[in-house]
Amino acid sequence: MRAKNLSILFAALFVIAGAVLATGARAEGEVPAPPAIGATIEDFTLPGVDNKDRSLKSLAGKNGTVLLFIAVQCPVSNAYNERMEKLAADYKAKGIAVIGINSNVAEDAAAVKAHAAEHKLSFPILKDPGNKIADRLGASVTPEAYFIDMNNKLLYHGRIDNSRNAAQVESNDLRNALDSVLSGKAVEKTEAKAFGCSIKRG
Amino acid sequence: MRFTKIVIPVALCVLSLGFAAPAQRKYGRGTKPKEPLPVVSAIDTDALKGLITQQRERPLLVNFWATFCDPCRDEFPDLVKIDKEYRPQSLDFVTVSLDDIDQLKTDVPKFLSSMKATMPAYLLNVTDPEPAINFIDRRWQGDLPATYLYNEKGEVIYRHIGRVNTAELREAIEKAVKKGAGQ
Repeated sequence: MRAKNLSILFAALFVIAGAVLATGARAEGEVPAPPAIGATIEDFTLPGVDNKDRSLKSLAGKNGTVLLFIAVQCPVSNAYNERMEKLAADYKAKGIAVIGINSNVAEDAAAVKAHAAEHKLSFPILKDPGNKIADRLGASVTPEAYFIDMNNKLLYHGRIDNSRNAAQVESNDLRNALDSVLSGKAVEKTEAKAFGCSIKRG
Repeated sequence: MRFTKIVIPVALCVLSLGFAAPAQRKYGRGTKPKEPLPVVSAIDTDALKGLITQQRERPLLVNFWATFCDPCRDEFPDLVKIDKEYRPQSLDFVTVSLDDIDQLKTDVPKFLSSMKATMPAYLLNVTDPEPAINFIDRRWQGDLPATYLYNEKGEVIYRHIGRVNTAELREAIEKAVKKGAGQ
């Protein structure tokens, strides 16, 4: 009887250990592949920093939407705060909305709200509990941008520009993509690798 | 009155000696000479390509990291152990920081010093990191840390994005080292 109980206990421990190892392995840099350019991004709903749910559809711009994965503590993401705010302001009038998404497990809604206030980020920022949207979009780092058109078709994925140092920007990849669409042209460079801090997944 | 005149100066002397003595024991006469910080060399994309593709007699381990990257800092003690264990006999190991060039002589060498890391250290000094990232690995998105093991021919024989699995890395190094020795 005792031997039977012990074997059940060991079996349970084995299953738990397996689950823990599987979770750990998933967290170590194995980011799902991002959707291909041209793929449709399904609508999603995430809580804002006020804990009220917001859908992508409710925040989308009439000419498209930029989804920006951002962070509170990442110095690379923070180096882009002013540029991201200016991007949101510049394109708001042109019908393109900017939505920030924070998927970092260690940065809660209160921290995201305080950070946005401190850095005067006025565009909506959503929390992504369990990094579900980061996984769905295959987002690896902060900052990382996705530009979708009014039908949620992915037109551009990658970096905002080539350098975290604003003085060294030579290639405004995200702005170029937005400008192309606004002028009725196809996006020339649809992907450019984003460089930044890894998203801390839960 | 007489008592205070004698006792207070004597007490003050004893007290001052008491405070000075530990400082003297710690630093000796004068101040302790500062340990020089490790040298970190700035390299551009071409120099990085040269570093990786140059002819070599031993496998090469390259770790891409940055001071702002938590998992990079977390895994560093393990990498230092691996370096001390394998580099003297059978492995080349370099680190490439993707920090800002401003940190070349500050945060990067300070961190390496705190880790007692002695492997050759570089900082990628580029305005656009994409060509370097694509050269290293088209599948790599540039997220850190990223660790690559090359054989003597410059072929990637192990890659890991994210905090390295030490057992897995050791296994790959052992395999590469044995294969190299057997040739």
